[in-house]
Amino acid sequence: MSAREAVLGAVRAALGRPSPDPAAVAAEAGALLADPDAIRPSLPLPDPVAAFAARVVSPKVGATLDRIGDLQELPEAVRRYLAGHELPRELTLQPDPALRRLDWTGFELREAARPDEAVALGRARWGIAETGSLVFHSGPETAVLNHFLALHHLVALRAADVLPHLEDYAAVAGPAPRNLNLITGASGTTDIEGSYVRGAHGPAFLHVVLVGAPLP
Amino acid sequence: MAAVFQYGVARALSDPNLKLAIDRTTVTAERKRAAALADYPQFAAARERGTAIKDHVVANLDHYLEEFERNATASGAKVHWAADADEACRIVLGICREAGARRVTRVKSMLGEEIGLPHALEEAGIERVETDLAEHIVQLAGETPSHIVWPALHKTREQVSALFKAAHRVPHEADTVEAMVESARRELRDRFLSAEVGISGANFLIADSGAVCVVTNEGNAELTTTPPRVHVVTAGIEKLVPSIAHAFAMLRLLVRSATGADLTQYTTFHCGPKRPGDRDGPEEFHIVLVDNGRSRMLRDGLREMLRCIRCGACMNHCVVYRQIGGHAYGGTYPGPMGAVLTPALEGVDKARDLPHACTLNGRCQEVCPVSIPLPTLLRGWRDRSWKEGLVPRGVRSGLGLWRFAAERPWLYRLGTAAAVRAMRLFRRGGWIARMPFAGAWTRYRDLPAPAGRTFMEQLRDWERGR
Ligand code: SF4
Repeated sequence: MSAREAVLGAVRAALGRPSPDPAAVAAEAGALLADPDAIRPSLPLPDPVAAFAARVVSPKVGATLDRIGDLQELPEAVRRYLAGHELPRELTLQPDPALRRLDWTGFELREAARPDEAVALGRARWGIAETGSLVFHSGPETAVLNHFLALHHLVALRAADVLPHLEDYAAVAGPAPRNLNLITGASGTTDIEGSYVRGAHGPAFLHVVLVGAPLP
Repeated sequence: MAAVFQYGVARALSDPNLKLAIDRTTVTAERKRAAALADYPQFAAARERGTAIKDHVVANLDHYLEEFERNATASGAKVHWAADADEACRIVLGICREAGARRVTRVKSMLGEEIGLPHALEEAGIERVETDLAEHIVQLAGETPSHIVWPALHKTREQVSALFKAAHRVPHEADTVEAMVESARRELRDRFLSAEVGISGANFLIADSGAVCVVTNEGNAELTTTPPRVHVVTAGIEKLVPSIAHAFAMLRLLVRSATGADLTQYTTFHCGPKRPGDRDGPEEFHIVLVDNGRSRMLRDGLREMLRCIRCGACMNHCVVYRQIGGHAYGGTYPGPMGAVLTPALEGVDKARDLPHACTLNGRCQEVCPVSIPLPTLLRGWRDRSWKEGLVPRGVRSGLGLWRFAAERPWLYRLGTAAAVRAMRLFRRGGWIARMPFAGAWTRYRDLPAPAGRTFMEQLRDWERGR
């Protein structure tokens, strides 16, 4: 008997009932998602973009935030950030056509992050207001390692792509990408005596540039 | 095991650093969880829903296992099945050998510990690099995890500093926690990028897509699973959820209960190997589904324990765990959930003491995000070890004597009246620090001296005086 049959057989014997009807199981699973508002936190602000913006800079996420009216202004926003941190104008740029086509004159760009990369810039597909998460799908235009190797992770996000809750992402996501990365803050650890330290293995700094949001 | 447990407890209680180290982390965890729940008035409803989701999955476990296998296979993953720990290790080692692995990186996974994977890799001569900071500390110390969320919680910063200074190529200079974390970051960076195989566990298996959810705060999981040519997941069969939306409902409960955050910094769903055009990712993706006693738990009345999402809240809030730490429990899983799981995984004859190391104060059940009736399950083990004749003769005859007296009120009153008077002879300022036959208790704590007369005697006087 194969291990597969042994495990499934033992589970069935323990459950002591005939195989369940798939339609009935699906209906029950669906019912367990009913009334999502009853089981999730409500947003502190009615506007999801405002809630997202407040959330990412709160201690819960601990990111920094910049807002620009149009994606064309992104290189300037990046320049501001690098100058503020006294970093040279070089970075890994996510191979996303929308980012590539911007005017990066004066920057040294890389396609893939180096092991000791200082700065990586990417574009998130969505943002989640509930948690302040940035959502990435891996693929030809998004390398996973770019989100993890650099010390400073800079992320552009269109305000129109901010979703209120995690379930709203599930509704629009489509087929599962190879990697779905939900990033909610910089890398951190509390492994030594419970004290919180940033930059454990991944980025120590997360900086979000919200694009197309009405400027405050 | 009984002797091992008692030895472990004695050692734990006499370690002056341990209590301090345990408190530093568990007190913070307790406070942060309470704050997170205060911000989440929907918690009670969410907890009920989460419990129902896990119950639904367990009731249809065969269905979900097959659905998951189908979808994972369609995504290009290779699904393996293992009935027990040995079989699971054999499968993982086979994959490593096939990949010609000399070095593997590993993300902390309690299932990996449960099946003895660290040891199996070592025996096979494969270099194992633990990437979770706490697991890295535990590995350098040659120990095992003492907590399921903070494996190195028993180590003080001074101990960690000494370990890093002895082992790291470019160790920290300043003795701050920040500098130590940076030292580990430096030390592990090139290891991440040079492993042939990356091994992780799973927080959730998503049935309708075949994806595997892994959460961390450090970002070590993605650095472990992305660069190597092969990614292997080992997961218990109870980790299933129907869809990603169900996983989100569970994540809200898991993270708040574990660390008091609303969501982990890195929450990643892995679905199959590298696809055409992908910039990075493993070429092979293996998932090992491990039973190792879970179907037996389902059969033997421990179904509710299969809801467990390994958040660690029950141990953070356990008065016994906070005194003795995780190692004294002797199994992979410590604290209340460990006291229920270890007898199921290793046999009640080997772990008889664990269900007894509990005050039944009910805190664990109160904080459990999936409402597992831990005290009831522990009592079930006590019943079984009594019925199976595993309770030692001394305890049996002691309880037999107590029962004989308890069934004869006049004798019971006589006995207790004599006892309270005798005990008062040993009192010093309201407390008893030393007394014959009570050395095991009074060695680590004082016993409050009883009132001069029994409750029944006082009641009688009060009724007369009325
Ligand atoms: S038993 Fe409950 S509280 Fe304990 S680890 Fe499992 S889910 Fe968490």
